[in-house]
Amino acid sequence: MTEPKRILVAMSGGVDSSVAAALLHEAGYDLIGVTLHLWDAEGAQQVGRCCAPEDRDDARRTCEHLGVPHYVLDQRDAFRKHVVDPFVTDYLAGRTPIPCVSCNRTVKLTHLADLAERFGASHIATGHYARLDRSFDGRLRLLRGFDADKDQSYFLFGLPQSTLERVVFPLGELTKPEVRKAGRRLGVPNADKPDSQELCFVPDGRVGDFVGRQGRESKPGRILDSDGTVLGHHQGVANFTRGQRRGLGLGGGGARYVLRIVPRTDDVVVGQEKDLYDRELVAKDAHWVADRPAEPFEGEIRIRYRHRGAVGDITPTRDGFEVRFAEPQRAITPGQAAVVYRGDEVIGGGFIA
Amino acid sequence: MIYLDHHAAAPTSELVRQAMADASAIAWANPSSTHRAGQASRQLLEKARALVGQSIGAAPADVVLTGGGTEACNLGVRGLAKGRRKIITTAVEHPAVAESVRHLGRDGREVLAMPVLAGRPPAPGELAPLLSDDALVALHWVNHETGTLFPVHDYAQLCRAHGARLFVDATQALGKVPIDVASLEADAVAFAAQKIGGPAGAGACWVRRGIELDTVLAGGSQERGRRPGTLDTLSMVGFGAAASSIGRRLDQQTTIAALRDRLESGLLALGAVPNAVEPRTTTVCNVSFPGWEGAILVAALDLEGVCVSTGAACSSGLQQPSVVIRAMYPDEQWRAGSAVRISLGIETTDQDIELATLAFQRVLSRSQGQKLNQI
Repeated sequence: MTEPKRILVAMSGGVDSSVAAALLHEAGYDLIGVTLHLWDAEGAQQVGRCCAPEDRDDARRTCEHLGVPHYVLDQRDAFRKHVVDPFVTDYLAGRTPIPCVSCNRTVKLTHLADLAERFGASHIATGHYARLDRSFDGRLRLLRGFDADKDQSYFLFGLPQSTLERVVFPLGELTKPEVRKAGRRLGVPNADKPDSQELCFVPDGRVGDFVGRQGRESKPGRILDSDGTVLGHHQGVANFTRGQRRGLGLGGGGARYVLRIVPRTDDVVVGQEKDLYDRELVAKDAHWVADRPAEPFEGEIRIRYRHRGAVGDITPTRDGFEVRFAEPQRAITPGQAAVVYRGDEVIGGGFIA
Repeated sequence: MIYLDHHAAAPTSELVRQAMADASAIAWANPSSTHRAGQASRQLLEKARALVGQSIGAAPADVVLTGGGTEACNLGVRGLAKGRRKIITTAVEHPAVAESVRHLGRDGREVLAMPVLAGRPPAPGELAPLLSDDALVALHWVNHETGTLFPVHDYAQLCRAHGARLFVDATQALGKVPIDVASLEADAVAFAAQKIGGPAGAGACWVRRGIELDTVLAGGSQERGRRPGTLDTLSMVGFGAAASSIGRRLDQQTTIAALRDRLESGLLALGAVPNAVEPRTTTVCNVSFPGWEGAILVAALDLEGVCVSTGAACSSGLQQPSVVIRAMYPDEQWRAGSAVRISLGIETTDQDIELATLAFQRVLSRSQGQKLNQI
């Protein structure tokens, strides 16, 4: 990173981005607050819904408090095209997508980097819990945030070096309690606002219903056991993810879990928990933060955001990589990101096939 | 700060501010009250009404004061629609008119929106075949985004000849073109104080004598039963004061035209594509910049201290692609997303234009050839 002059701060209206702005302001930077309007929030009563007018108001109030300009920009078309539509398509194909990765790569950071240029700003800042560090060869390294519970480096593996060069993560070395404390110290108006949960555009977490509201109903199908015996029927594959136990509607017998979703037939195959464990995964569409590693190597792999990470051997392939874990992992789920770490450093990531 | 968004709101003059300051100790009283406090407020209100009437060639009794331009348009459009089965409008109206018409359409009336392709207003000959004695024509005199002048006098004669009613939204015409409602032959005409340097909460709807107007709001019998609710005397004083200097605004039009033309040729040299055609008011330049989103350009210019807009302002602060430009250029969708409106007023100086052009140049040079949303 060259020394930032004017910084564009991406402000969702949440605590993290507000405090990020306040900290940069305290450090004396010239700031521009930008709130992207990505989606029209559904359900006026829903707490934590996405891009709600009250979130825009919170972002504006923070900027007023800091005395920095604030703009709301409409990115609904891009968000639908790059994030929501692929999300729905993935669910209907039986995968469990992780839209935050493509959102960060397209609508958010890459777009904001372009915006920053147009605004005459040298850098962009976000409230992500992640860190950047310059390595000896001049490349930037993407590192975990200090707060192990909040670390968001998992979502950022897709960013190209050209974007990383322009990014600042002011919260990378702070914990969430420290962020709230800083917010209160700096008089940030929404310092005590609750954290947002789930996916920003599906605040109630009911993905099946959301997919239906997008006018792309998932088709009903059969629920089978591993032998192909029909155990029941379901209302659409978008309601299921690998490892899921609830909502199958199968009476009697022991606990059963979703083992896999068969895309073409829309069958959901269920079985026992022990059948959810695998030692291997294949990841596609990989992005390496620096260069694509030439040789197989050992690293730590996170297979979902809330996964603690497990040791395994990583073998890069032409457009992805293969992993062999030291210990079998529960519910390796197609569509989720597999992100490879060495210590605190994100080496790269891809999408589980 | 260089303010070039006069079509959104024109700055208040010293005269207006002084008149409102002087009135503030009296204007709080309810002008409908019988007592002397109410009478004092009523006196200010009526003086304001007379000044507004004078500025548009109307008798005070025919001026219905309203809480702003949108309300005046609603009153005019929906008030005149009684017994009318067909509503004729244009595709580029301000939402105050467009939404009022849409509302009438929901009640089962036929709605016809005349196209304004390539920015050209419908010729009177295009309107004539649509007219009938059960029609209401509702359209603007001057387009808020492009300044395009619509031949409302010609429309009015045709409407009269066919027994159609005519509502004219003169919100953007006031102070930019001479207005004499007596000779216009419309049935109702709407005005807003904000566009001539008065407060936003004041508007007026002139109604032809003898026309029975349906009320839009339910309430008391103020404004001869045509507009219920206590009017804000203070805002009306501001409106009256602003209206009293309409002549000065009109006299400045040649000067403003020269400034606008200089700005426009500067912007065209920077790659802008013009969206408006003549005849138009002298006050506005509407252009599109290929490769730029209008909303982003507006924000980038604001950071340089230059205030412009993409078109009609929206309460959320979210600037949308222009509906007007989209309707004018349906085959060139990029224009609407890349349009900016730069509007001048009597306060605009040579230096403003020079500095604004330089600011455009600085901002536009930052992202040569890049396209947004192609990620």
